[in-house]
Amino acid sequence: MIFATPWVLTALVALPLLWWLLRATPPAPRAQDFPAIRLLAGLQPAEETPARTPWWLLALRMAAAALVIVGLARPVLTSGQMAVAGGGAALLAVDDGWSSGPDFAARLAAAGAVLDRLERAGRPVSLLTTAPGLDGGVAPATAPMPAGELRPVLAALQPKSWPTDRGRAASRVMGHGPVFYVSDGLATGRDAPFVRALAARGRVTEFSGGLPARLLRTASAPEQLLAKLRQIPSAVARTEFVLAETNDGRVLSRTPMLSPAGAAEAEAVVALPPELRNQLGALRLSGAPGAGSVALLDEAARRRPVGLVGGGTGADTPLLGDLFYLDRALAPTTELRRGDVASLLKRQLSMLVVTAGTLPAGEAVAVGDWVKHGGLLLRFAGPGLAAGEDADPLLPGRLLPGDRQLGGAMSWSQPAHLAPFPDGSPFAGLRIPAEVSVNRQVLADPSDPTPQTWARLTDGTPLVTAARVGSGEVVLFHVTANADWSNLPLSGLFVDMLGRLARRSAGVAVVDDGRMLAPALSLDGSGVLGTPPPAARPVSARDLADTMPSPLHPPGLYGPERDRHALNLGSAAIPLTAMASVPGADLLPLDAAPRERPLGPWAVALAVALLCVDMVLTLGLRGLLARWRPGVAALLIAACVAGGARAESPALATHLAYVVTGDAQVDATSRAGLAGLSDYVNGRTAAVLADPAGVVPGRDDLSYYPLLYYPVTSDAQATPAMVSALNGYMHDGGIVVIDLRGGGSEAAGSGAGMAPDTGAALRRIGQGLAIPRLAPLTSAHVLARAFYLLQDFPGRFDGDTVWVQQDQDRSNDSVSPVIVGSNDWAAAWAEDEDGRPLYATIPGGARQRTLAFRFGVNLVMYALTGNYKGDQVHVPAILERLGQ
Amino acid sequence: MRHQAEALAAKLPPLMVAADQVAATVAQGVHGRRRIGTGDSFWQFRPFVTGDAAARIDWRQSAKSDRAYVRDMEWEAAQTVCLWRDASPSMAWRSGRSLPEKRQRAELLLLALTSLLARAGEQIRLLGVDGRVFCGRSALDGVARALPGHGDGLPGRAVGVPRHASVVLIGDFLSPLAELRACVSRLAAVPASGHLVMVLDPAEVALPYDGRVRFRGLEGEAEAIVPRVEGVRQAYGAALVAQQAGLAAMCAAAGFGLIVHHTDHRPETALMALWTALDAGRAR
Repeated sequence: MIFATPWVLTALVALPLLWWLLRATPPAPRAQDFPAIRLLAGLQPAEETPARTPWWLLALRMAAAALVIVGLARPVLTSGQMAVAGGGAALLAVDDGWSSGPDFAARLAAAGAVLDRLERAGRPVSLLTTAPGLDGGVAPATAPMPAGELRPVLAALQPKSWPTDRGRAASRVMGHGPVFYVSDGLATGRDAPFVRALAARGRVTEFSGGLPARLLRTASAPEQLLAKLRQIPSAVARTEFVLAETNDGRVLSRTPMLSPAGAAEAEAVVALPPELRNQLGALRLSGAPGAGSVALLDEAARRRPVGLVGGGTGADTPLLGDLFYLDRALAPTTELRRGDVASLLKRQLSMLVVTAGTLPAGEAVAVGDWVKHGGLLLRFAGPGLAAGEDADPLLPGRLLPGDRQLGGAMSWSQPAHLAPFPDGSPFAGLRIPAEVSVNRQVLADPSDPTPQTWARLTDGTPLVTAARVGSGEVVLFHVTANADWSNLPLSGLFVDMLGRLARRSAGVAVVDDGRMLAPALSLDGSGVLGTPPPAARPVSARDLADTMPSPLHPPGLYGPERDRHALNLGSAAIPLTAMASVPGADLLPLDAAPRERPLGPWAVALAVALLCVDMVLTLGLRGLLARWRPGVAALLIAACVAGGARAESPALATHLAYVVTGDAQVDATSRAGLAGLSDYVNGRTAAVLADPAGVVPGRDDLSYYPLLYYPVTSDAQATPAMVSALNGYMHDGGIVVIDLRGGGSEAAGSGAGMAPDTGAALRRIGQGLAIPRLAPLTSAHVLARAFYLLQDFPGRFDGDTVWVQQDQDRSNDSVSPVIVGSNDWAAAWAEDEDGRPLYATIPGGARQRTLAFRFGVNLVMYALTGNYKGDQVHVPAILERLGQ
Repeated sequence: MRHQAEALAAKLPPLMVAADQVAATVAQGVHGRRRIGTGDSFWQFRPFVTGDAAARIDWRQSAKSDRAYVRDMEWEAAQTVCLWRDASPSMAWRSGRSLPEKRQRAELLLLALTSLLARAGEQIRLLGVDGRVFCGRSALDGVARALPGHGDGLPGRAVGVPRHASVVLIGDFLSPLAELRACVSRLAAVPASGHLVMVLDPAEVALPYDGRVRFRGLEGEAEAIVPRVEGVRQAYGAALVAQQAGLAAMCAAAGFGLIVHHTDHRPETALMALWTALDAGRAR
C-alpha cells in the first residue's frame, strides 16, 4: 500500500492532543427524575473518581479520526512487482488477435494495471495493437497521452477474429521509453522484427500466460460428429465442454472433452441423434469465448437431401416394397424426398435413388444432365432391368441380358456370399455379416471396362458397380432393393452402405468452383456471429478451404442463404507454437499486477460509520436510548426471526416432489422443472404450490406429496426399500410420473437417443413395482381435460406415447397411480432465475413449451382433484340425455 | 376544567371497583362490635326490665308469650374518620412501567378504606374539604367525586376535624420532618388519633441507578448531579432510614401509627394493617 498524498499523514501528530481533549470532556450525564431528591442533596459519595470518557469510547473516536486522516492521504492498495523504469513516453503493446479472445478481459485488466501505475507516475503512454484493424491495416500507435485519457481507448478495444500481424506492427514502434507488452503467447512467422523493435525501444516488461491458444474444428466420422481441438500444449489437464448449437442459439448437447496435460490435440464425439445433428449450426467450446473456440458447420456437414423415385404399385408395401427398405435405411441419416423425377430435380439434391427398372426416356435425359453436373444416381436391379433389351445410358456399364439364379429348387448352386470390399471402394472397411447372401442378380458384361466394381460376390461377380459420368456418378446395385433377390436389404450392412453413399454424394449443389461467395455472417473476436466487418471481401468457392482468415476474409459464413460455406479458424493452417518472449524482458504473468485499488473512500466511509456508532453509544450513555428500547428490541427480534427461519415441515404446504437420482444434472433439471411448473401453476390456477422437494423413496416420507416426478437414468437401480416405498405411495393414492427423458421412444420427432438405455433401466426397476396395465393416454382421458383441453402431451420432446392405467380403479378415485412417458417434461418446464427456459424444445417452438406447461398444469390438477373433472368426459352424454 | 373533571370521573369507577375489591378481601377478616348498643342491626331480645323505655318493647315478640320483650340492637358507634392523601407532583411518579404511580396507590388505599368504613357505618370526611360528611352506601361514590379537588400539600389547619376523630394521612412524607411534625402536632391537639401511611416507590428505597446521573426533582427542587450513584447508595439508604425513624418517633409521641407501604407490594397488605390499627383504635 502506498499513499498518493503522504504529507496529510503529518496530521496524525495531532492525535495525542485530540486524545487529551476528548479525555478531559466527560460525556453528558443522563438525566433522571427522582422525587426523593431532597434526601440525595448533600450526600458525599464514598469514593470520588473523576468523570471521564470511557476508554473504549475514546479509542473509537481516535480510530475514526485516524481513519479520516489516513483516508485523506489517499492510500492506494497495490501489489505485484512492476516498475516503470527509464525515461520517455511508455508504449503499451497489446496482442488482440484471435488467440487473445478467450481471456481478453484478463489482458485488458493487465493493461489497465499498467495504466494505473503510469498514471500515478505521471508518464505519457501510447497504445499499439498488433492485429490488423477492421479496415484491414495495422493501426499506428496512438500519440503519447496521459494514461487516464488512454483508458477509454483501452476499454473500447475488442479482440479480433484473425491472427496478429507483428511484422507490420514492428514498423509502428516509435520513440524510446519503457515498453509494456501484453502478449498472447502465439508465435507467428514474423515475430523477429517486432521483438527486435520492442527491445530496441527500451526496457520491456512482458505479460504472458493466460489460456493457451486453441482451435476447434469438426471432423466427420462415419456415424458421428467429431469435435477436434488443437492447442499449444499446456501443463495442466483440463476438461471442457463442447456445446452443439443450432443456428438460433439453442444448445442441443453438451459433451465433455478432456485434454490431458501436455497434449497438443484432443477430441470428443458429439453424440446426437441424426435427426438433431442436421439442425446444428456450430460447435462451441464453453467457457472460452473466442473465434478459435467456434467451429461453424455449413451445408457440407448437413444431411444430404436424397430423392427417392418409386416405380410401380406396391413399392411402399411393408416388408415387400422396395421403398419400404430404402426409406428405413436412408431416413436416419438423410433428408428423404419422394416424388417424380421432374419435381425432385427442381430442388437441390445430392443423391437420386431409382428403384424401377428403367427410366422413361424423357426423364432419363434430365437425370443424365443432373448426373453430369455432379449428382449421384443410385439404381437397383429388378425384373424390369433384367428384361431390358436396349443399352440404358444411365447404367455404369453394359449388362448381360437376363439374370442369374443362385440356389433354389431347380439349381445346383448355393446362394452366394459377399467378398470383402476392395480397397478403393467407398464401402471399404464395413463388416460383412455372414448371413448376407444373394439368390439372384443381374450380371455386368465382363467385356465392358467402364464400371468400377465396389462390391463383389465370393465368386467374383460384381454386386455393386459404379461409373463416373461427367462430374457425377452412377451406381448400380445388381440386386433389388427389397428382399426378393437377396437378404442384403434386411441386414444392417445395407444401411451402412447407403449411408456411405449418401456421404459420398458431396455435391449438394452443382458446384461451380469459380463462384465468388460473399461474406454473410462473420465471427467477431469473442466468437459471436454478426455482420461482416467493412473490409470483408468475397472469396471464391474453390479457394475457401485454403483461405487464411484475415480482415479481408474473416472467419464466418460465406455465400447465399441456401448455400452457406463456413470459413473456420480451426480448419485454416495456423501453426500453433508458443512464442518466445522478448529477450531481456521482465516476464510477468497476466495477473501479476492487479488493478490498483484506492482505499481512501473506504477509510473515510469507515470513519463515518464509526462516528455513527459513537453517536449511538453516546446517546446510550446519556440514557436517551431507553425510549427507543421497544423499537430496537422489535428490530432485533425481527432480525432473529428472519435469520432463524428454519426448514418447515412439508405438511404445511403443497409441494411437488421429484426422485433424487444421484445424477447432479438430472436432479438440477428436475428441481428447476418442478419449480418452473409450480410458478406456472401458481400464476394461473387457484392451487398454491411451494418449492419442490427432492426425495429418496425409502428414506423420506412420501405421503406429503401429491405428485412424484421420477426421471429415469440409465444406471438407475431399485433397492427393495425404494420399491416398497413407491408401491405404498401408489397404493395410497399417490401419482408417480415416470419420465424416460427421450430414452424409450422410437417415434420420429421425439428425442429418441437422447438418453439411451433408460428403457432398459425402467424395465429393471419396474420388475418390482406394482404397475397396473397401461394404455395410451388419449384426449378422452381425464388427464387431458383436468384444466386445459389437450390433444397431445409434449415435453422437451414431442410425439411419444404417454401411458396411463388402463382400467379405472374406482377405489382410487379412478386416478392412475402411474404415468409413463419419455418426453422429458421437467426439461421443458425448467427455467433459470430470470424465467428463461434452460433447455431448447425439440422439434421446437414456443407453442410446444406452452403445451408442455399446460400438460404440467393438468398433471397437478389431476393429482390434486382426482377425477373431479371426469364428468366433463361425459358432458356430451349428459347433454344428450337432458335434451331428451 | 370540566373536561378534566370528566376525564378524572371517567377514570374513577375502575378505581372504585378496585377499592371495593380490596376492601372486600379485608372485610372478610373483620367483624362487628358484638355488643349491645345503638345500631341498625338486630342483636337480641331480652326481657323487659324496669327502667326500659316503653317504646322499646317489641310488641310482636311480646305477644307470643306472657312476658314483655325488648329488642336490643347491636352497638354501632359511628365514628368520624378523616382521610387525606398527598396529591403533590412528587406523588405522580413511578420508576417503571410495571408499577403504579404512588398517587394512584394512595388513592386506591384511600378509596378502599372508604369502602370499608362505609360498610362499618362510620362517617368519613376528607381533610380540607369543608364540612362534607360521607356515610352509607353513597360514601364511596361521594369520596371518589370529591377526591380530584382535594389534598394538595399537607393539611394546614385541623379544620373540621371533630374531637376524638381518627385521621388517616396517606403520602410519601419525604418533606422535612419539621413540617410534618407541625402538621401532626396540630392534629394531635384537636385531639385526634390517627395513622400515617408512607407510600414509597421501590426505586426510592433502593436507588437502583449507576454512573453519572443528573437527578431532577418534581417539585422545583434544585438539580443534583451525582458523579457515581453507586457511591452514594449507602448514604442515601441511611438518610431514608433516618427520615422513617424520625417519622416513627414523631408519630409515637403524638399517638399516631405509622405504616410503610411500597408500591410493588400488594395493596391488601397495607389496607389490612391500616384497618386492624384503626379497629384497635376504635375499640379502645
